Amino acid sequence: MRHVLLILVPVVATFAILPSVYSNHLLLFNFMIFIMLAQGVNVIYGFTGYLPFGYVGFFGAGAYGFSLMVIHLQAPPLLALPVGAGAAVVLGLFLTPLFRLSGAYFSIANLAAALAVLQVVSNPNLESITKGPYGISLSGVFNPTLAYGTALAVLAATLGLVIYLRNSRFGMALQAIREDPISAGMAGINVVRERIIAWLLSALIAGLAGGVFAWYVSVFYPETVFSGEFTIFAIVFALFGGNATVVGPILGVVILYGLYNAVGISTPQYFQLIYGALIMGLVLFLPNGLVSLLRRWGLNVP
Amino acid sequence: MLLYTLLAGLLFGLYFSLIGLGLNLVFGVMRIVNLAHGDFLMLGAFLAFWLFTLFAVNPISAIPIVFALFAVVGLPLYYLLVPRLLKARDPEMLSFILFFGLSQVIEAITTIAFGTSERSIPGVQLGIVIATVKGLFVGHKVDNGPIEIFGQTFPAAWVASGVVSGLAVLFVYLYLYRTRLGYLTRAVMVNREEAIATGINVHRVSAFAFGIGLGLAAVAGVFAPFMLGSITPAMGVEVTVTSFTVIVIGSLGNPLGTVLGGLVYGISYMFMQSYYSSWANLLPYLLLIAILLVRPSGLLGRQVRRA
Amino acid sequence: MSPDHSPLLIIDGLVKQFGGFRALDGLSFSLAAGEILGLVGPNGSGKTTCINIVSGLYTPDGGSIHFEGRSVAGLPSHRLAHAGINRTFQIPRPFLTLTVRENVDIAIAYGRNRDTRTDTDALLSSLGLLAFADQPAAELNSARQKMLDLARALATGPRLLLVDELAAGLNPAELEHIAAKLKDLACSGIALLVVEHLMGFIGQITDRIVVMNAGKEIFEGSLANAFTNSQVVEVFLGGEDAA
Repeated sequence: MRHVLLILVPVVATFAILPSVYSNHLLLFNFMIFIMLAQGVNVIYGFTGYLPFGYVGFFGAGAYGFSLMVIHLQAPPLLALPVGAGAAVVLGLFLTPLFRLSGAYFSIANLAAALAVLQVVSNPNLESITKGPYGISLSGVFNPTLAYGTALAVLAATLGLVIYLRNSRFGMALQAIREDPISAGMAGINVVRERIIAWLLSALIAGLAGGVFAWYVSVFYPETVFSGEFTIFAIVFALFGGNATVVGPILGVVILYGLYNAVGISTPQYFQLIYGALIMGLVLFLPNGLVSLLRRWGLNVP
Repeated sequence: MLLYTLLAGLLFGLYFSLIGLGLNLVFGVMRIVNLAHGDFLMLGAFLAFWLFTLFAVNPISAIPIVFALFAVVGLPLYYLLVPRLLKARDPEMLSFILFFGLSQVIEAITTIAFGTSERSIPGVQLGIVIATVKGLFVGHKVDNGPIEIFGQTFPAAWVASGVVSGLAVLFVYLYLYRTRLGYLTRAVMVNREEAIATGINVHRVSAFAFGIGLGLAAVAGVFAPFMLGSITPAMGVEVTVTSFTVIVIGSLGNPLGTVLGGLVYGISYMFMQSYYSSWANLLPYLLLIAILLVRPSGLLGRQVRRA
Repeated sequence: MSPDHSPLLIIDGLVKQFGGFRALDGLSFSLAAGEILGLVGPNGSGKTTCINIVSGLYTPDGGSIHFEGRSVAGLPSHRLAHAGINRTFQIPRPFLTLTVRENVDIAIAYGRNRDTRTDTDALLSSLGLLAFADQPAAELNSARQKMLDLARALATGPRLLLVDELAAGLNPAELEHIAAKLKDLACSGIALLVVEHLMGFIGQITDRIVVMNAGKEIFEGSLANAFTNSQVVEVFLGGEDAA
């Protein structure tokens, strides 16, 4: 409960209040999206140790799930969102056999899966269903205020989940699986089941983020919502801040996405250089992220 | 059509072997995944492009220059990055992230230096070389143009790429099986711990393998303008995934297994292009996932994996 | 002893194949509650493979394993832990970034221990780990990591404990302590299957040993009698030297 008061409430309140004093709502919205995605990566990578190199696949699946519900079934957005996110969870279920692979093979196979989904969605042969490469337009349900409010709710739920993982025996079990799946089994943990639950929760977060993103921007192309940058940014932000914590990924997004908006939008290659170098520095010198630095200074970081 | 597709697949297959060869050599020796592999290929392509544009160096003549330069760069890079990694608890995963960072740095610097526009080298350059070589054999001047094999005509560039790729595979084979350093390299591939215990200088062996790996990637880059379309700083990621697919199909950690992976990949790619072109781009991804799940040790499996 | 005096664990004709190599080739033995059985034999004779199968790491290729009267062969590890089988590892495998206390807490939370009074502090203190309770397991030395492995196993309330080379690398005082601890556990009714190379240690704690060679048992009885058996002597000293 302490973490809910200290982290969830202030973060959500900040994003609720800022639109009235700061006019670039799209930027605020994107900050929320990246906090969700970085936390989603945190759930599966930070807690269970599987690096989802195709994480954007869930984001895109959520975006398309939402859009296709709206386009083909005229579903109201608030119904289309959970159903659309369901598409991401189904994709996650399809990919569960990948857990047979260890480390880097899992990551590469996951990346291949995300690219495969993009190829299918953007294939001109499927234009009647997915609109192919020509993209989606949802002008009929365009409602940035309500979409922003919904994003706030998704953000709150995401943070709530991570706080739960940080403080529950389920979260501890996931970390035990990350440290040593064999010992975790001997401790009585159903390794296969718990790992899949974490995976699907992570997929759900990205699916909801993708759905609400589609709603907010309302016009997009397959390459927009399946862009590898979502994966890369989410992973880098989470790694930079510190995995398996609540505040690490938030810190990562605020600092690095802030930096991106300062230097990255006009000259993305300079930002790419910065975060590329950051990743290398992190792996070599600070593998547990910014948070571990704070801990070294004696701060207790949740 | 069938014969054409098969032969074209063979040529591309040889080239894909070359693309995967360096990555597999590095993985085999160090058990680390060089996620920047595709970016080194891209750098090789740029080097060949500038050598051609500024000094009119023919791509074929550029090969030794490109190879030597990257192999030499690889040695210090190895000592800078890898020994630290191998001491960590999970080198495979850490190397994955580290080289991903490196790949971003390379892409960013290349973009800053050259911009994002697409570049290419006229394919006729390779045709000239082939025609000259052919001319030496038949004793009179030959037209440089498409080349005929079994009654099918192919762009000279495809044939040149295939031939050079075949030679590169032969080069790696000779290195591994006919040199002392190659012999030690194989020992490290079979069992790193035991190699250390018997006093082999594992870091020296690995550094050479790393350098050769980068050199091979760069040589593959020389042909990228002809085989993969134009070259851009952002092409690295896709190439890395393709390379990974090729070596997973063949056999991870078995450099010569790469050839089988490359041929399977190249031939199926060409068949997809000919018969289901709109779905051809799906092939590498589905093939990669399927092989990883069904036969993670690759088509060659364990029995042949003696390196 | 269980009331009907039937053994707690019955292994019959166990077979495990790795490629062309038969690691276990029809191993059979049984173990009663409260008993300490030593499993000895040269390297590669299949001792650890046996433990890995009984603890669910590998599935057997043949034969049967019955625990408390029901077949447990091929069950996943967590179900075996719930059933009352647990183990330590030759090279300890704690959850390195978690604290010592969390390592044990997880096993209590997920192990479905029938004895609900199991207390982390008491367990840690009985194994000399209480002082390190709030340190990450990675900071323990290897002897203490072994004790932590044991603590995690005990936290699940096992009735069968598989001990894989716990004594290797311990100093004499630690050996003394751990021998007493294992005997205590047996007295409380837990059956122990102990794989060990240190014969002195085996002799000190076991009532009975099974000697293995090439995947099957070649002797069963007391340690003292084992070395009057020519086959055992040959296996341990090597054929030509013994002649």
